[in-house]
Amino acid sequence: MELRIRGVSKRYPNGVQALHDVSLTIPPGMYGLLGPNGAGKSTLMRILATLQDADEGSIHLGDLDVLARKDEVRKTLGYLPQEFGVYPKVSAEELLDHFALLEGIGERRARREIVEALLRQTNLWDVRRQKLGGYSGGMKQRFGVAVALLGDPKLLIVDEPTAGLDPAERVRFLNLLSEIGENAVVLLSTHIVEDVSELCTRMAIIDRGEILLEAEPLRAVSELRGRIWRRVMSKAELPEAEREHAVVSTKLLAGRTVVRVHADSSPDNGFEPAEPDLEDVYFTAMAGHIGRRREQEAPAERVASR
Amino acid sequence: MRLAGILRFELAYQLRRAWPWLSMAVLVVFALVSTRVAIVPVTLPEDFVLNSPFIIASVTVFSCQIWLLVAPAVAGEAAARDVHTGMYPLVYASPVGKAEYLGGRFLAALLLHCLILLGVQLGSLLAVHGPGANPDVVGPFRPAAYLAAYGFIALPNALIATTMQFSAALLSGRPMAAYVGSFALFFLSYPVTVFLYISKLARPEIAMLSDPIGVFAIMNEMMSNWTIVEKNVRMFTLEGPMLINRLVWIGISLLVLAVVHLRFRFAHRTATDPVSRLLQRFRGTTPAPDVAAPARIAIAVPRVQGSFGMATRLRQTLAIARSSFRTIATSLPGLFLLAAYPAMLVLIMVIELQQWGVPLLPRTVEIVSRYLTFPITDPINYLVMVPLLVIFFSGELVWRERDVRLDESVDATPVPEWVLFLGKYLGLALVLVALMTMMTVAGVLTQTFRGYHDFEVDRYVTLLFGFQLPEYLLFAMLALAIQVVVDHKYLGQLVALVAYLLLIFADVLGIEHNLLVYSAGPAWSFTEMRGFGGSVGPWLWFKLYWAAWALLLAVAARLAWVRGRESGLATRLRAARHRVTRATMRTAAAAVALVLALGGFVFYNTNVLNAHVTDDELVRRRAEYERQYGTYEGKPQPANVHTELRVELYPARRAATMRGSYRLVNRHEVPIDSVHVEPAFYVDTRVTFDRAFRRVLADDVAGHHIYALDEPLQPGDSLTMGFDVRFERRGFGHGGLRSNGAGQAILENGTYLTGSALPVIGYQPLRELWGAEERREYGLPRQVTLPPPGDVDPGMAAGVPATFDAIVGTDDDQVAVAPGALRRTWIENGRRYFRYASDVPIGGMHVFFSADYAVHREQWKDVDVQLFLHPGHTKHVERLLRGVRASLEYYSAQFGPYPFPFLKLVEQPGNFFGMGVDGSGVITAGEGFFLLDPQGNGFDAIFEVVGHEMGHQWWAVQLKPAFAEGGGVISEGLAWYSAMRLVQHVKGREALRRFMSYMRQPNPWPQIRTGRPLLRAIDPWASYRKGPYAMYALSEYLGEDRVNGALRTLIRNKASSLATTVDLYRELEAVTPDSLRPLLHDLFAVNAFWTFDTERATAVRTETGAWRVTLEVEARKVVADSAGVENEVPIGERIEIGIFAPAKPGEVLGAPLHVQKHPIRSGRQTLTITVQERPDRAGIDPYNLLDWDEGDNIEPIEIEAPGDRADRERTS
Repeated sequence: MELRIRGVSKRYPNGVQALHDVSLTIPPGMYGLLGPNGAGKSTLMRILATLQDADEGSIHLGDLDVLARKDEVRKTLGYLPQEFGVYPKVSAEELLDHFALLEGIGERRARREIVEALLRQTNLWDVRRQKLGGYSGGMKQRFGVAVALLGDPKLLIVDEPTAGLDPAERVRFLNLLSEIGENAVVLLSTHIVEDVSELCTRMAIIDRGEILLEAEPLRAVSELRGRIWRRVMSKAELPEAEREHAVVSTKLLAGRTVVRVHADSSPDNGFEPAEPDLEDVYFTAMAGHIGRRREQEAPAERVASR
Repeated sequence: MRLAGILRFELAYQLRRAWPWLSMAVLVVFALVSTRVAIVPVTLPEDFVLNSPFIIASVTVFSCQIWLLVAPAVAGEAAARDVHTGMYPLVYASPVGKAEYLGGRFLAALLLHCLILLGVQLGSLLAVHGPGANPDVVGPFRPAAYLAAYGFIALPNALIATTMQFSAALLSGRPMAAYVGSFALFFLSYPVTVFLYISKLARPEIAMLSDPIGVFAIMNEMMSNWTIVEKNVRMFTLEGPMLINRLVWIGISLLVLAVVHLRFRFAHRTATDPVSRLLQRFRGTTPAPDVAAPARIAIAVPRVQGSFGMATRLRQTLAIARSSFRTIATSLPGLFLLAAYPAMLVLIMVIELQQWGVPLLPRTVEIVSRYLTFPITDPINYLVMVPLLVIFFSGELVWRERDVRLDESVDATPVPEWVLFLGKYLGLALVLVALMTMMTVAGVLTQTFRGYHDFEVDRYVTLLFGFQLPEYLLFAMLALAIQVVVDHKYLGQLVALVAYLLLIFADVLGIEHNLLVYSAGPAWSFTEMRGFGGSVGPWLWFKLYWAAWALLLAVAARLAWVRGRESGLATRLRAARHRVTRATMRTAAAAVALVLALGGFVFYNTNVLNAHVTDDELVRRRAEYERQYGTYEGKPQPANVHTELRVELYPARRAATMRGSYRLVNRHEVPIDSVHVEPAFYVDTRVTFDRAFRRVLADDVAGHHIYALDEPLQPGDSLTMGFDVRFERRGFGHGGLRSNGAGQAILENGTYLTGSALPVIGYQPLRELWGAEERREYGLPRQVTLPPPGDVDPGMAAGVPATFDAIVGTDDDQVAVAPGALRRTWIENGRRYFRYASDVPIGGMHVFFSADYAVHREQWKDVDVQLFLHPGHTKHVERLLRGVRASLEYYSAQFGPYPFPFLKLVEQPGNFFGMGVDGSGVITAGEGFFLLDPQGNGFDAIFEVVGHEMGHQWWAVQLKPAFAEGGGVISEGLAWYSAMRLVQHVKGREALRRFMSYMRQPNPWPQIRTGRPLLRAIDPWASYRKGPYAMYALSEYLGEDRVNGALRTLIRNKASSLATTVDLYRELEAVTPDSLRPLLHDLFAVNAFWTFDTERATAVRTETGAWRVTLEVEARKVVADSAGVENEVPIGERIEIGIFAPAKPGEVLGAPLHVQKHPIRSGRQTLTITVQERPDRAGIDPYNLLDWDEGDNIEPIEIEAPGDRADRERTS
């Protein structure tokens, strides 16, 4: 069962074009949606989670029309919103039980079992009786994960899930996701490249409502092999480098600037070959050196480097 | 200057929002409508000026009450938006000072409120100067009146309310808490103040202080103390209690602001609520910390698929209901509703369950129908809090997920909208069920505290859960559906409130039919005597009809339910279209079918089987009556001298026929060629004569028939007119028993039918329109409502009494009652018949009762005294009889013989209080009267009230007051005076004093100092209170015999004509010596008020063993004119000084040692009197003959050792 998104567009009343003709095919497994803030990730996620309508286009989960049959979609959907709150005066156990019932798990014993398993899974078992109002950001996030995992979802949509997690939690969570990805479509949106590179079998890069690149992370990286070059330079040299080369990213390293550029052959000038990683893929796509922007022959845009 | 910046930003922010403007719009409309239709109760049907300062101030006061409920969002937003949106860390960490931040926000909210309240004055102005205003009732434009109302009422209220709303929102961090602050003020201003005032728990001045908005404080002051003249011209300013009230509340507001400022911290807000903080402290444990998450391998999560059958849906609905209920029940307003509020009701009931100072039996029916139930469209007092809170809770529930940003998680779950909506609705319903349970508990507790143990829990359950709960449930559906459809927190509250106001004021706006006012219908009623009396059927049909509408509302709410991020109109319409499933269609179709079927059935009953006549239509008919037939006023008509009736009552099928005849005599000097007959409305009347006649006109709409006699009726000649009147219950009508009053109802047990169903002879001026406004509307000439007593033709004949002979038949297990002496009773065809007759002409209204009565019968001289009481209510037979016998004895001796050979006291079905006189020899007592439960101290009020009603057999029945000013003094005033003298005569002065202290209470008739003098009195205080006080004072100055003798003469002289206060005054003058003429004049002809105060009373023992008492007293006398200006005048009369021995247990005052009238002058003076026994208390006017305020007339005496006084005088 795969998720097919075809030509989806969304424009907000204030004129912002959140999505523009987005088409993606998402097979079972972990799928990463990578993009900067404001790229339209959350809009797409919410449309998939039945919480918003698309202006155009179609979305199908297997044979299921996601846009038209929201009720059916919700039965197989797990959703972790980017931002959410909880009832402060209710305990985690109670609220999760409530959600389990909303997910259709009517039988009390089954509900108790799954609530316990999920609370243990998300490491909230010891604090299950505590009121959610007293939870830290990470605990709340884990609680949200538990909610999203209820009801054995066939489509799991997690919007920026790792934002509030500490490194250990993040690892655990991503492991959990990939486990679920063995028999469900897991769509993970993030602006953290590592989330995708470590786990996702496929990914898409989205910016300003457009899909810039749809690829398998490993292959995308290997395709860049031999095309990424780096050089350490002083800050003063940077403007000239930016003029002459297709700069992918710049980073500060011990007071000097490390500049990475994209070039089919060695740009010389002190640049040395560099081993590409997914971050290079991301920035290269954003800068229009590969992917859709390049296909459109759009003028290369400078990417804000960090 | 940061303050100004914050203020400016906040103002600009909110002024761009819709709610301030919509709140203002609501106020403009409310003020406009309430000015135009004069929602403000005008005490008397006299002309008023639409833009008088009084109306402007009243409208401002009432609008403030509405504003309080409509506009709290303004302050809530200003105070708590930062916390609510989560922006507060940015603000709190900025270098802005606490005072600047709070000050700027608070002032912005205050300014906004001031702006919104301008809408009231705008509305008032539009009502007067806008299109459609009637120029006849518009006075000159006085800007000061608007400024005064705005400045003295609106602005202080803005400060007070902004403070409370702002503080509540700020401290809780939730903008919606502002509504809670508002509710608190509303609750204080209306229910609490009225309660304090009426219950006398606090003195009136204190009670007035508890009103933060001035609804009661200001309105009470103006309504009761301003004369009609003042109401039209007097400028509203703050003075007296009003000023103190404003100052106190402004002070409280400033104090609250100071406290809030001190308490407020720019600090992180933890999510814990006060309750858990408290529990925390109590338990002493800290929550377990988040254990470091080891990166272990995942545990398998059981893979459970959801099931989505009906069973799951049901479980989900119930789970949402439970959780909704819990949120509300544990919130502060929820706790108020379910705990504090019932507790307060217990307090109210325990205190209020008394009448005339006598405790009332806390019977379950009384408790439930008087305190715990009400039709939602007719809110009484404290119960109005329930619908207001239902509106608030609806908003909270609809916004519950979104408020904590859990909506995305919930909306993505596979739960249909109807489950979410229904779950919340059921949650709200559970709250109401809990409320009903708490109400039951409150009732039972009240009964327990009163030592009453016949709880009748099943009756609580039936009435509260079966009748009141559906009322609330219908409203809850409306409120919830509105919140869903409006989908804006503040606007939802506003729209729901406006909708509620429309329900309440629908009739004022001209929408009268209950089929058009959501959830309205005829009220049910339950009394011990008549049970539901057939009120359940109509109630149920209407409620079922509205339940069908509620189902439609639920369908609408499901379609309009906002799910997900988008709430634009287009999206919602699209979603709604999408949600129209077959099930929805079926439900909607079923609902529409039910609405049509039930509505059609109800309409068939109310408008086809029964005539539905709107108030407007009634007014039109009365206008028509006067216009078409007014020319016949004064046309010679024969007078009825004998009534014959055969009344057949069929209680079981609720029908009756009245067949009978009038013997009509021509008492005029000219022949009469046509008889004008006015049939009663809503009944079939057929008329025949015992001589040839022709029906010239039969207008059954306006109500006038003319029958031409072929052979005119010669002077002195007589004829017989036969008539046939039929009542048949056909289905049910538009009004219920409660709203119709008890009359006109033939019920299974407890029929009370009045003679107003019988035709009357001649044009009836009393059927004409009274109201100046209505008369103007129909182009009728202005009419003086009440002529001055001097304008009444002294020879004007009294309504001629007639002899009477009636046979009344009813079911064989009931007793029928009619006026007259019981001649015979027999059984015929399984029915029981009673023949009542009077050879003495009787007047007043003919009444017919039929019920399962317990009858008590005894003889007083040649008077046949009968009591007809509900079998369960016979506890007071002996007490009632004591009053009846004593009255007959004393009044016959004083005012002339009791003229009828019969006297009957009948229990009238219906839960109302008190007694009344229906005509000659008939006294009725409502079922409520039999709740009186006198305790051991001997005072039962029954004697006093019976004495008053018996007095009416002389005053009103024998001496008939003319329809003129002062008429109330003749009937009510003299009847109370008689009762006072009777009490003193039979029970002594102490008993009278105790009763007088209940008469002096401001409820139901507060003192009006600026009314007209007694001779031209029109207000109830003058008739019911000042009249008897003046008569009593006069009888103490002149002597009882002289005054009563004058009254006896008056009755004799006016046996066949109507009496006015002029006649009364003439007779009193005749027995008043010259020395007391000024006092008589001051009591009756002007508005004089005496104020006496004993400042200090001391006594010293003389060498002879006597006691020399020294009194320092102050005396004052003023004469008030109709504009309320008081002029001090010198006291010319002698005033009583009393010295009393120590009181024995149960006495208020001890035995009088010295009571004499002394010459007293205005101002401060010292009196010295010697008595033989040891005195305890002393004072001036100790029996309140002239100073009608009980207060500081009597003081305890300080006993001084000989010589003390001299010492003190030397040193001072």
